[in-house]
Amino acid sequence: MARLDLDLLGKSFGDTTAVAGVSLNVGDGELVSLLGPSGSGKSTVLRMIGGFERPSSGRVLIDGVDVTHVPPERRPTGMVFQSHALWSHMTVFGNVSFGLRLRRVPREEIAKRVEATLELVGLAGYGERLPNQLSGGQQQRVALARSLVLEPKILLLDEPFASLDQHLRERLRDEVRDIQKRLGITALFVTHGQDEALALADRIVVMRDGRIEQVGQPGDIYAAPRTAFVAGFIGAMNMLEGAITDGRILAGGLHLAAAGSGPAHLAIRPEDIEITDSGEDGHVTVRRMIDFGSHVVIDSSLADGSHLRLQTTKGVRVGEGERLGVRVRHYMVFAEALRDPIRYRGAGVDMLPNMELNYA
Amino acid sequence: MHEAASPLSRTPAVSARSRVLPLLLVATPVLLALWLVIWPAAEAVILTFLVPGEGGTEVWSTANYARFFGDSYSVNNFTNTLWTTAVTTTILLVIGLPLAIYLRFAKGQLPATVQSLVMFPMFVPSIIVAYAFIRTLGPNGTVDIFLHAVGLPRMRTPYLTPWGPVIGLVWDGLPLTVLLLLSGLGNVTRPAVDAARDVGAGWLAILVYIILPRMRSSLLVTLSFNVLGIFSSFTLPYLLGPAAPEMMGPFMQRTFGDLQDVGMARTQAVITFAVCLLFGALYVWSIAKGRTKSAAGGKS
Repeated sequence: MARLDLDLLGKSFGDTTAVAGVSLNVGDGELVSLLGPSGSGKSTVLRMIGGFERPSSGRVLIDGVDVTHVPPERRPTGMVFQSHALWSHMTVFGNVSFGLRLRRVPREEIAKRVEATLELVGLAGYGERLPNQLSGGQQQRVALARSLVLEPKILLLDEPFASLDQHLRERLRDEVRDIQKRLGITALFVTHGQDEALALADRIVVMRDGRIEQVGQPGDIYAAPRTAFVAGFIGAMNMLEGAITDGRILAGGLHLAAAGSGPAHLAIRPEDIEITDSGEDGHVTVRRMIDFGSHVVIDSSLADGSHLRLQTTKGVRVGEGERLGVRVRHYMVFAEALRDPIRYRGAGVDMLPNMELNYA
Repeated sequence: MHEAASPLSRTPAVSARSRVLPLLLVATPVLLALWLVIWPAAEAVILTFLVPGEGGTEVWSTANYARFFGDSYSVNNFTNTLWTTAVTTTILLVIGLPLAIYLRFAKGQLPATVQSLVMFPMFVPSIIVAYAFIRTLGPNGTVDIFLHAVGLPRMRTPYLTPWGPVIGLVWDGLPLTVLLLLSGLGNVTRPAVDAARDVGAGWLAILVYIILPRMRSSLLVTLSFNVLGIFSSFTLPYLLGPAAPEMMGPFMQRTFGDLQDVGMARTQAVITFAVCLLFGALYVWSIAKGRTKSAAGGKS
């Protein structure tokens, strides 16, 4: 168990700033997910924590000790790489035991610890196999075991499931979560998959262009994104461009209450739109219906041609071209362009419950 | 009833063609090699075992080899060639491996510059290298003149000593050595190295346990290529090396051209060929092993 503190961590490659002044505190036994699109700097942050990149500025502290300039081989961290990075000329046992052998741990203890760790990751009895005799999922478990056997204070996972199929990815992420909870190890998990972050993390750090956009618990980030970027990045979201005038926002043909003035984005989650009725005087026109089994998603058009995605319960059947009346349960208003900070927050302003859609 | 031809029904024809075509493609070079290399080599080997007998006949004998290995001058030349090959190959690997590792893993502008410098000797002909070496390190060369000018004692030049060919051959062989090692280092990914560092490996441990085992084939190929090239080299040992002992290349030329002892020159050639064949076999074996491994889906 350990605390991790990042203090204004920055990294530049020539003229390009990959990470700009990231500060973050990760508590004992916490699993924090760094989430963001490609190029957002999340992997660079992880590599700086692991010691594989030297920060251009700032500090990395583990349990209050400054490890910014400590090389990776002397850091109390363990990293699981996206590409597994197994040593294919060594057996599974060789891969997992390598770190222990370097530390001159007695042979009997090595055998005991490797066996226990392989059992922990569900690979008991696989010690003599070579990596190329294992499936992708098994290889990733070996990579995890290789890190865990050394009992690192901080476990760093760099998109470890990116190369696996969806089913295996879901299974492994649950297993990783179980192992992390069981061992009580502090972990940082880099991903660009919001589902993965929402399912795994105690807290999510949403990154963009080398900066932190928002830090919070998965539910909070989903329900109350602080910026338009976060709103659009986490979960499905209808983002409609518009403008606020006279206390109302006009976007995509919708006319809703909003404070302020000027250009703004209206953000509505698909599940926050309720179908009220159908008929010629409906608000939206159905373009396509996708039945996911557990729920139904309807792609529709607004009066000005903008797209609006609705999510409703299973069993609902609508036809292409059908007009539907809808009601918005919650919506958010982000003033100005996507890059700008949110101007309006709070239930009274941007999250108005049970608003009927009104047309201008 | 029309029935579309199944892809499977064409498989035997396709596979037969796919077997024959590569054979046809290699037929010409193989036939040329048989005609120009294999046959003369086989003939030379046979002829070294035939010596003139009574009445103008030829009899089977190992007399040529007995003469070669019984002659201390020939043995010294052979030993000198082995020594030069071993020392040059070792120096090439000792210099080439760190350079290749640096070029493989370093980032930025400097590695690109270093790579250009490493590759430069590849574009300089051996004879130019030899004369540049003589003008620089030879008697009354640049270094000598400089030392004399600053009042220091004259240097003992490596020119015309066994170290002369070593220096020239190292210069000449470095680009190919680094290129071959670099290609082998392609098997060592950065995450594999990072993972080793992550579990506590220092650079020596990474070299011994991660890098070298993964580039075993490439090291064998580099070793074979260098030994083949150095053992049978001519220009640099001829221009830079001592008159005695000399390397097998100049020795063969002198035996054949100056002494016009065709039988002994042929014997020297067969002995040289036998040594090179050993390393040639090592090269073929390492290539075949690599192919088998990749065919089995293994990663080297």
